[in-house]
Amino acid sequence: MNPGRRGPVADDPPAAGVHPGATGSSSKEETSMRPLLTVGLVAMGHLAEVAIRVVAANLQTILGIHVDILEPLEVPRESFLTQRQQYDAGLILRHLAQSALPCHLRILGITAIDLCVPILTYVYGEAEVGGRVAVVSDFRLRQTDDGFPASLDRYYERLAKVALHEVAHTFALHHCDGPGCLMHFAATLKQLDRVKLLFCDHCEFALRMNLKQILADSTKAT
Amino acid sequence: MTGRIKILVVDDELIVRESLIGWLKKTGYEVAGAEGGARAIEMLSERDYDLIFLDIKMPDMSGIEVLQHIRANYPASMVIMITAYGSVENAVEAMKLGANDYLMKPFEPEQLALLVERLLQHKRLLDENLMLRERVAARMRCQDLIGASPCMQQLFNIIEEVATAESPVLLRGETGTGKELVAKAIHSRSGRCYGPFIPINCGAFTETLLESELFGHESGSFTGATRAKKGRLEIAQGGTLFLDEIGEIPLKMQVDLLRVLEEKRFHRVGATHDTPLDFRLICATHRDLNKEIQRGTFRQDFYYRLNVIEIEVPPLRLRVEDIPVLAEHFLEQFRKETNKPVVGIQQHAMKLLEAYQWPGNVRELENVIERAVVLAKGRYLTRNDFAFLFSTPAQTIPHSLKEMERQHIERLLKLCNWNISKAAGLLEINRVTLHSKIKKYGLHP
Repeated sequence: MNPGRRGPVADDPPAAGVHPGATGSSSKEETSMRPLLTVGLVAMGHLAEVAIRVVAANLQTILGIHVDILEPLEVPRESFLTQRQQYDAGLILRHLAQSALPCHLRILGITAIDLCVPILTYVYGEAEVGGRVAVVSDFRLRQTDDGFPASLDRYYERLAKVALHEVAHTFALHHCDGPGCLMHFAATLKQLDRVKLLFCDHCEFALRMNLKQILADSTKAT
Repeated sequence: MTGRIKILVVDDELIVRESLIGWLKKTGYEVAGAEGGARAIEMLSERDYDLIFLDIKMPDMSGIEVLQHIRANYPASMVIMITAYGSVENAVEAMKLGANDYLMKPFEPEQLALLVERLLQHKRLLDENLMLRERVAARMRCQDLIGASPCMQQLFNIIEEVATAESPVLLRGETGTGKELVAKAIHSRSGRCYGPFIPINCGAFTETLLESELFGHESGSFTGATRAKKGRLEIAQGGTLFLDEIGEIPLKMQVDLLRVLEEKRFHRVGATHDTPLDFRLICATHRDLNKEIQRGTFRQDFYYRLNVIEIEVPPLRLRVEDIPVLAEHFLEQFRKETNKPVVGIQQHAMKLLEAYQWPGNVRELENVIERAVVLAKGRYLTRNDFAFLFSTPAQTIPHSLKEMERQHIERLLKLCNWNISKAAGLLEINRVTLHSKIKKYGLHP
């Protein structure tokens, strides 16, 4: 946990594209000014602030949509699996979806705990295709394949890749066959490092179309 | 694989099922779940799945049983067995029974991704192979004739060879073997293919009517001939005349036809002048014409005139290997006609069809498939749909000869779909006698 942080730090210049007024309890005026396509970023448990900022900046730059850094949340206790000594990513997603974070189109939780799903030994992140929430973990991203610590640059890049991949799933993108595309399924760090920090033309097009549709639906709803 | 890849996840544990379905959906597959073996079998009968994840231990039915059902009925589906830690021996047994691979819960993400990719790649290759086989199957066809068996391939070669000749052809074969289709195939490959193909069933007319049908007549040539009518010989100008059941032609008409074939001209009934003719003659019979000659019911000179090229059309029981491809062909035809969602024939059912003797040959097979499609309840025709072929109704052996005759005639009439000529042929009596017996015994379709 990082109890001192509430949204973007006031003294620091806001990271590129990060919505400056964002907190979990934004005012009515702020809400009305917020673009419809906004992703809320939530730290879950202890996590370095710079990691959150890197993710926010990458989401903003590559997806081209606004990002708000929201107040941190606790990792739900019930998500801990004693037998596996890991956390169930599905239960964390359910917890995020039930939390009172109604103003954002999508919510991304970032955590440092080891995530898994019942059928897989581990996951770097989890999201439902077309769902509202996603979660990523940096637990397995901080080392090299040999077990040595990875460089900070490499770590931030991996975290951004996983975050973009999972958020893109919430915008109805599926895994992609293109080996360099962000939507290519990476089961290992080696595979993750081979993926570029970019969507292939096909996924980029699909993403833009889906965002356009979501924006049109949201405008109609409001 | 056409369209989206369809995957079925069979596991009684909800969280395992949901978790795996969720992961597969992220890759864009169309995924469905079944909570047990029975439900899985039900879902499999409703649609095809490219890949099936199958838990070995389930309360209602073991995964091994479901696997056996899949292998027997949906051999094209890939199956991955799901097993818990410590029960590898079950997985090994499943592999022996035809599972494509197995995974131990929980799966390593890389292992899962690689396995799914490998099996779907394999499935793609199998589907491509099937497509190529279908292309090869196109070579098994000659017009509307279908057959991969050596005897049919030989028949196709003969058709190709004789098509370009102008000589008369005599087709011999049992009823329902497709003699008319052979005649059509010869016509369509001949230089006369743009001319008409005129068939006439000689057994379906009385002598007077047959004469009128073949030769036509002038107006007023006999009572009731109010206007002139072209005969089939004339209509067939420039094309092919197909005389089916040539063995039924009365002796007098055999002379007339022989003259036509010798002189290549004829005159209508009541006409005073001859008309030149130009057609190719193809005749067919299920009778042994040599025997008919010995009996004196068929003219030898007429026989030699017709029998320049003799082709034997094999009965279905001698080309058992063609039964699956013919059955699938008719299934597809009647599926479209009836708009019923029947997509295939189960292996056991096909074995049953192969075991049957098919006295009515391809026509009987066609009728049997039509009946099965019309009455089908599921997506696949099962052994039960064809059980009637082997049912022997509990009949008491009649004491009287009269009753025995009645039953025999009735059975043969049913077998020939009430085609009087054919039934009379099989009974080796003439049509008039058969009619009188039908009347005597009060038989009706």
